[in-house]
Amino acid sequence: MNVAEYITSGILESYALGTVSDQERREVECLSSIYPDIRTEIDELSEALEKYALLQSVEPPAFIKNKILEQLEFPVSEPSIVRPMYPSEPLSGPTFRTTWLVAASVGLLLLAFSFFLFSRLRNNQESLASLRTTNETLQAESRQLTDWQKKQDQVTALLRQPGTRTLVLQGNDKAPKGEVLVFWNATSKQVVINASSLPQLGPDQQYQLWSLVDGKPIDAGVFDVAQSGRAVQQLNRSIARADAFAITVEKRGGSPAPTMSTLLAMQPVNS
Amino acid sequence: MKRQSSLISESVLIERLHQHDQQAFQWLYDQYSPALYGVVLRIVRDDDQAQDLLQDIFVKIWKNLESYDATKGRLFTWMLNVSRNTAIDALRSRKTQPSNEIRTDEDSVHIVDRQHNTEQPNPDHIGLQDVVKQLRPDRKELIDLVYFGGYTHEEAAEELNLPLGTVKTRIRAALHELKQLFKS
Repeated sequence: MNVAEYITSGILESYALGTVSDQERREVECLSSIYPDIRTEIDELSEALEKYALLQSVEPPAFIKNKILEQLEFPVSEPSIVRPMYPSEPLSGPTFRTTWLVAASVGLLLLAFSFFLFSRLRNNQESLASLRTTNETLQAESRQLTDWQKKQDQVTALLRQPGTRTLVLQGNDKAPKGEVLVFWNATSKQVVINASSLPQLGPDQQYQLWSLVDGKPIDAGVFDVAQSGRAVQQLNRSIARADAFAITVEKRGGSPAPTMSTLLAMQPVNS
Repeated sequence: MKRQSSLISESVLIERLHQHDQQAFQWLYDQYSPALYGVVLRIVRDDDQAQDLLQDIFVKIWKNLESYDATKGRLFTWMLNVSRNTAIDALRSRKTQPSNEIRTDEDSVHIVDRQHNTEQPNPDHIGLQDVVKQLRPDRKELIDLVYFGGYTHEEAAEELNLPLGTVKTRIRAALHELKQLFKS
């Protein structure tokens, strides 16, 4: 079909003016949906007539609008959704403001929430630190107790060994209430003492145990006055032979030979 | 132009109208009622009847929105056609009822037509008025007769004592002139 010829035939003008028959109208509408050029021509003619009609504009009396609205039925309307349709209104203004208000509120909330979280975190860190300290203290105590338990086990083992002797060394006039128990096993060469009732010494002094073999004193180890609960302590010297045991007060770390003036107690093994 | 800017959202408007949204209707009324009222007034030349007809027209538009097809033509054109047809029908039925007849002489339409043309132009459309003044008077007369008078080509030919072919050629030329004038 020759579109250009159809456009210039005059039928489109008649269509725009509304003077065509129903059949012609359907034909034009059908063809305009197929050929964009025909549609464009119709739109241009219609637009020209629209502008021509606009020239006739007369403001109708105001009451007519209400009279019409009374005759119409509207479903429940949603005004807020319709508003953006108005092209003449400054749409960006309130929307922009609202957006900022919302953004600012969210920001403040986030800030407050972060502060809350931060203070919570600090509290938690503090509790964690104190828990760690407590834990370390407990672990240290636990280690000490374990060590002590091992020593006690060794002492107990020694005491239960056959051949262990128990000697009671009574304090002389320098320590009248002093009493030291010496447990000695000649086979295992181990010595354990219980020295809870000796007087406390200065920080630079220690008690020293001596074993006497053929009249000669041999160092059997130094010890402090036992604290409560530490009544029994093993000395780290091997004593294979002893005729007697003696205790002196020496300088801290012990002396190679006993200071006789500080002799506190002495007890022969085979009494 | 005021109406031009509104065309951007015409598809949105149509969607709202199809949902029978009240605000969309109010906007439609505010935007188009002066033009439609002016056209109806131009056709029936009676304030009271034009006011009644304007109500009928908007009710009709509202109730027949479903039948408006945006793919077939422009919304304002569709509304104009509804208005013109309603007004022309009313004018014709009035003419067939002698008891209500005010003007028996058909020529009086054109007498009033010419009087009407001398009225003050709508200040919103002064630019357009100037444009229309460039339209050749014999062509303008034909457009008015057909568009606002509801005359068929044959009736117009008879009315103006012109051959049918001349009327057809002249109408086509008139519309094209109008198109070109508004385009520039």
